[in-house]
Formats: sequence, C-alpha cells, structure tokens
Amino acid sequence: MIDPATPGPAVRRRVIVHVGAPKTGTSFVQDVLWRNREQLATQGVLYPADRFDEHFLAALDLMDLHWGGIEREAVGAWDRLAERVRAWSGTVIVSHEILAVASREQVRRALASFGDAEVHVVLSARDLARQVPAEWQENVKHRRTLGYRAFLDAVTDPARSSELAAWFWGVQEVPDVLDRWGSALPPGQVHLVTVPKPGAPRDLLWQRFASVLGLDPDALRPETDRTNPSLGVPETALLRRVNERVNHGVLEGEDYRRFVRELLAHRTLSRRAGSPRLELPDDVRRWAADLSETWVEVLASRGYDVVGSLDDLRPDPAAEGRGLTDPDHPDEAAVAQAATDAVVALLEEVTRLHGSERFLLGEVGRLHVELERSRSLWFRFRRRVVLEADRHRLVALALGAYRRARGRSSRSA
Amino acid sequence: MRSEPAAWSWAEHLRQGGTRPWSAWTGEAAAPGSPATGHPPAGWVPPAAAQLELVRLLAARPAAGPLVRSGRFPRLADVVLGRSAPGRGLAAAPLRWPHDDGPRVGAPPVDPADLPVAELVRAGVGVLAELLVRASTGPQGRGRIGRPSARAARPALRRPSATAFQLCGPPVTTAAVRRTLAGSGHREGGRDPRVVLLAPPLDLALVQVWSARVQDGAPVRWRGFLDRSARRPGLPPSADYAALARGWAQRVGPGSVHVLVAPDPSDPSQGSAGRAVADLLGLRLRPGAHGRHLPGEPRELSAAGVDAVRRVSRILGVRLRQDRHRDAVRRLLEVLDRPGPHLLTVPPRHRPWLEEHAARVAEGLRSGGYAVHGDPAGVLPAGAAPSGPRRHDVLEVVLDACLALADPQAGAREAEQR
Repeated sequence: MIDPATPGPAVRRRVIVHVGAPKTGTSFVQDVLWRNREQLATQGVLYPADRFDEHFLAALDLMDLHWGGIEREAVGAWDRLAERVRAWSGTVIVSHEILAVASREQVRRALASFGDAEVHVVLSARDLARQVPAEWQENVKHRRTLGYRAFLDAVTDPARSSELAAWFWGVQEVPDVLDRWGSALPPGQVHLVTVPKPGAPRDLLWQRFASVLGLDPDALRPETDRTNPSLGVPETALLRRVNERVNHGVLEGEDYRRFVRELLAHRTLSRRAGSPRLELPDDVRRWAADLSETWVEVLASRGYDVVGSLDDLRPDPAAEGRGLTDPDHPDEAAVAQAATDAVVALLEEVTRLHGSERFLLGEVGRLHVELERSRSLWFRFRRRVVLEADRHRLVALALGAYRRARGRSSRSA
Repeated sequence: MRSEPAAWSWAEHLRQGGTRPWSAWTGEAAAPGSPATGHPPAGWVPPAAAQLELVRLLAARPAAGPLVRSGRFPRLADVVLGRSAPGRGLAAAPLRWPHDDGPRVGAPPVDPADLPVAELVRAGVGVLAELLVRASTGPQGRGRIGRPSARAARPALRRPSATAFQLCGPPVTTAAVRRTLAGSGHREGGRDPRVVLLAPPLDLALVQVWSARVQDGAPVRWRGFLDRSARRPGLPPSADYAALARGWAQRVGPGSVHVLVAPDPSDPSQGSAGRAVADLLGLRLRPGAHGRHLPGEPRELSAAGVDAVRRVSRILGVRLRQDRHRDAVRRLLEVLDRPGPHLLTVPPRHRPWLEEHAARVAEGLRSGGYAVHGDPAGVLPAGAAPSGPRRHDVLEVVLDACLALADPQAGAREAEQR
C-alpha cells in the first residue's frame, strides 16, 4: 500500500503506473481520476491528461501500436506524458490497461523516461473464468468474427501461436505482466489489486484501488458513466453477426466505433436485462482453475504487495456444472429480440441525424441565398455607394436622402 | 551449462556478423570447454528470439559484407536487439534451450529457426522504421535526408516548338513513361496536345493505384484496397480508361486521343511502354537517357516492395508527424527503388466486379472514336499470379532495405549510379 502523497520538496517524486489488466475496472478508475484531476492536483497528485484518452495514446506511442487510425494522434504522446511526469514534484498516476502488453524493452524505456522518480507498478487482476469470456466479448466489440469455441481453443493452445492468443496472454497473464513491469523494481513497489469475487460489496474494488493509489476513497466521487459494460450471450452473438456484414470496407474505423461499439454495444445492447451471461464451458473452467493455482503459487513466492487476496484469482468452483449458454449456437428468438432493439436504436439515431441534416440543409440554403445576394449587381452597387459615402460628402448626402425617401435604413439588408 | 551464457555468446557472435543458427550454437555450447559460452554482463537481459534471428538473417545477406568487414555491423545489430517488434503479433519469445521446458509463465520458448516469417517481417519492419526515424530526427536528418534538391524537383521548361502531348492512365506506368520521355528532353504540355492514354490490363492498373497510394503514405492492404474499390460505383479515376478518354476527347477531340492498350505488362521498368509512346508521337529517345524521379511520383516497386512500404508506413504513422512521415517514406522508396514483377492479381471474389467494369471500359474505348492501338479487350484482367504479396519476398526486401539504410555511403553510391 502506498502512503498518501503530500506535495513539497521533502517528498520524493513518485510515479504510480497502472498497467491493466483490461476488464478489471480500469475504465472506471480512469474516469474517476479524469473527473477529479483538478482536485487531485491540489493534493499533490497529478493525473496528467488534457483529454480522456491521453494515456491510451501514450501507450500506443510507446508500443508502436496502430489502433484503427487513432494512432496518428499518438505521435510523441509518450514523451509528452513523461515530460509532465518528470516536471511534477509529488505523485503522478499513469493508467492504461494496454500497457500490460508492453515488452521488456518497452518497459525499460518507459521506466527510464520517468527519470529518478520512485516507480510503483499496479496491476489489477480478476479470475480467469471471468476474464476469458470478457476478452472474447471485447474482441467481438473490436470487429472480430471469431466464434467463442475457436477463441477458447486459441487461448488454451499451449504454443500461443496466434496473434489473438499472444495479445490475450500479453495482457492477462498476471505473473508475466508483473515480471515484465516489475522485475527491475523492489517487490514492495509492485502492487497487485485483485477484483473481489462476485457478491462482494460494490465499492470494495474502488476501496482497493484508492488505497493502492494513495487516495481518499470517500473524498472522490466514484459515480461515473464511463465503464466498459458487458453484453449477454444473444447480444454478443448478434454483434458478431453484424461484424461479419460490416467488415471488408462497409464501415470505416471511426464509423464502426461510433455506431456499432458505442451506439449498439455500449448504449443499447449492454442495457438489456435478463440475458444469460457468458460463462466458460466446464473443460475450460477446469483448465483455468489449474492454471490459476500455478499463478497463485508463483505470485505468492514473489513478495509483491497484494491488495485484496490471491484467493480472488481462483475461479468460483460453484459455477461448474451450471451449464453453458453457447454463444456459437444462441437462442435465435433472443437474438432476434436483441436485433429488434438494435434496429429501434438505429432508427432513433437515423431520425436524429436526419433532423440535423434538414437543419443543416436549411442553413446551407439560407447561406446560398445570402451569397447570391452579395454577388448581385445591385448589392455590389449599394455596397460601393456605402463605401464611397465614407469618403465623399456628396455621396453621403445622396445616400442619406435615398434612405430617408425609402423610409428605413438599408443596413439590415 | 546454463542457457544465459550461451545466449549471450550467440548474441555476440551475431553482433560481429556471425550466421550460425541457434541449434548449432547450443550443440557446441554443450561440449566441455566450448567457446560458445561466455559471461554476460550483470543485468543483461536476453533479447527475444525474433530479434536475434533477424540479426542472423541480416548478416547472411550478400549486402551485409561491406558492413561486417568495416566493423559497422554491430551498430545495426544493436538497433535490432534494442527495439521490440512493433504493433501486434506473437509475444517476444525467449530462446528455447534443449531439454528445458522453459519457465512456468510467459511466452513459450522457441528455436529461432522455427519462428514464423510473419514475425521476422514484423521485427524487420520495426528496425526499418527505427532507422528511418533516426535519419529523420538525427543531427543530419531533417531538411537533408529524403528531400530532393530544388533542381531535381523542378522539371525543365518546354520549348514552345516541341511536340504537344499529354499522358494519362495508371500512375506507375504513366510516371515511368513520362520519365523516359523527359530523359530525352520531351515534356508534357503544349496547345492542342495529342493525348496518349496508357491502358494496361485493369488488374495491373489497380495494382498500380494501390502502389501509388501506399507510396503516398496510406498504409492500406491490397485486399482492403480492393474491398473499398469494389464498394464504390466506379473504378479509381486513373484506371477508368473510358472516362479518361471521354474527358480528354471533350477537350481535344476524339481523334487526338490515342489509346495504347496493354503496354507490355511483363516489363516492370515500363521501358518498352516509353518507346511505344515515343514511336506513336514521333519523338526520338536518346539511348541510355533516363529522367529523374520527381517528388511524389510513384515508383515501379515489386508487390513485396509495396507491401514493405505499407508496413513501415503504418509504424511511421505512430512515430512521426505527417511531414516527416512523408520524408521518411520517400527515403525508404529511394533504397527500395528496384523494379520487380508485381505478381499480384485480383482474388476470385473481386473478379466479377472487375470483369464487369473491364467489359464496360473496353466497349467505351471501342465506340468512342479514339485512335486505339491494340485490341481493347486487352484491358480485361490478365493475372493468374498470387493474389497477395508473399511474406518471404517482403522479408528479403526489408532485410536489404535495413542494410542499405545502415550503410549510407552505399546508399549514396547507389543514388549516384541512378
């Protein structure tokens, strides 16, 4: 646990790097930090961001990662972030979940860029039985069309011979992520925050995060709408089918982000209640349980600061035998209901955009008329007369007489 | 015998230009008193297998000889070993040590010889990008590297009495013919020009449009380019010969529009097309004369070359701002400037789309009253080659480009020779 920071020359500069993992409440934490960054700064804690995704861009830059075109905004982002880190005299928090995948060389470069600050690495982790389905769903929300079983086969392949498996383990293999990020640090500066098991108090994870970040959990407002919501089985199946139809040039990256991920997935499908949730089939659940035991053993031997309990990383044994709602063969009626909700949401959006389009077309028409009027001979003559009136008294007199005869000012014309 | 000393000694062997594979090295290291071991400095972290294998492959290229002999190869090797492969791909795997199951967590160890070519390409592309970034931002970088001289950038003036002509068609063929003619002093322009529309088969024209876009900095894949093209109502402008001919005919009359169908697509340098156009226009070519590349003009690259540019450009997009990005791509094009066969064609799922357009284009050329040289059916897709760049070819292009960039003197010599 890290002591709360107080600014001042006596305090050693400290950087807390929260490196993931995805689907462990990272978006929630980042939103709390973003919303409260000014308040935090008055307490000597810097969350260096002028836009919400600033640390994401920095991570893309650090790792030369392309991400649907947004990486063009990331040029030099890590160096800018590191400069702000070095310039702050108190505690700085850097947080993005894709940092988990950084290679040893990239980690070395990142840590070196913080100068002589005392670096703490934080990784939040959740049990594999919840992480594996969540990662498949995240893949689907990023245009992938791979089926659930194919995804499970890829991540359970010991050779990890696919890009998909490499990414999954790159961000989710807790002991390896902590080894890459923490091997050059004293174990006490490596913090593992475990996500509580289902049924734990709602704010327990926030309490754990706050304690490791050295923040007062009650002083900050944890209410946030920027989470990374999950989908049910029929909703994920629907989204995968949509991907199959909109890939290959139908929707560009920005349009996909706006209409499929944000509008359909986050604002429509994730709000449907009552759908079965994604689970692991029993064979994979047993594999996950065995692997988790290895992880717990390795992690316990390293002396890291565990915030929560390593037991949280063990999959819930009670879930075994519950039966799987297979997203590769979903209930078609449930998918159709989800699709209907999606169509309605899209129609609402189309209607809203159509309204905007009508308004803008009206504006364009009005501006065209004004432009035409400004180009007419009569308008140009009148404008010339008004300009000349400023220089020649006779013209000014004539203009005044004309206006009086017409009965009103022409300035509004 | 521990694996780390052997890995360190192998890395040192590779840094000096050695080419022995890891499997042979570990075999020697297992022997008592073998020199294939060593004492790594404290804190030394073994590089990933892909980086090490890339150094070995670089050293094995014929072009590496001067670098190795001059003692400059270790500097290039350090660039390779000091930077992870960019973007997404397999995890940075450690070296596999015989009879060792490896660590309990982390990426499974590999024999570098077993690495997929795609991973070596990814690592190589990262090195290329790094060399270009260093050239762009180094003390000698900006304003020098990759920027053509003002003289090269400015085409010579046309004589008023010169034959008036205009070229149009797919970007690479048109640029090559323009350069051939310019080398003999023939410049486009003039009043009432005769227009020469260069019309290779449409699949090759699309390859050229793709190549030109990639060379302009757009990191678009061949398949992605085709997907997008097929969703648009028409062909890309420089490949829509019927529209081009129609547009020029409205300005100069159909009789002044000459359509040169299928100017030898098997000639990657397009030299024969230049001669054909010169004959058609009654222009004389000076033997051995070549025009200079103008900035922004697409070059004749092999499909593997274009794909290498695409991959590097994608990484440069994260590392350099747009103006420097363009300079860096231009510098890369200079070292890749070796014509090669495109060996690409349109995959089966896009062929009906292209054949439909080709039939329309051929009919438009037939019925427009133009001076057509050759059979308009020659614009129909010709290819029967692979439908995507081959990774082995891309790897070779990337390795040679790394060596050329790491040896600026060699690059300068090549530029002078060109």
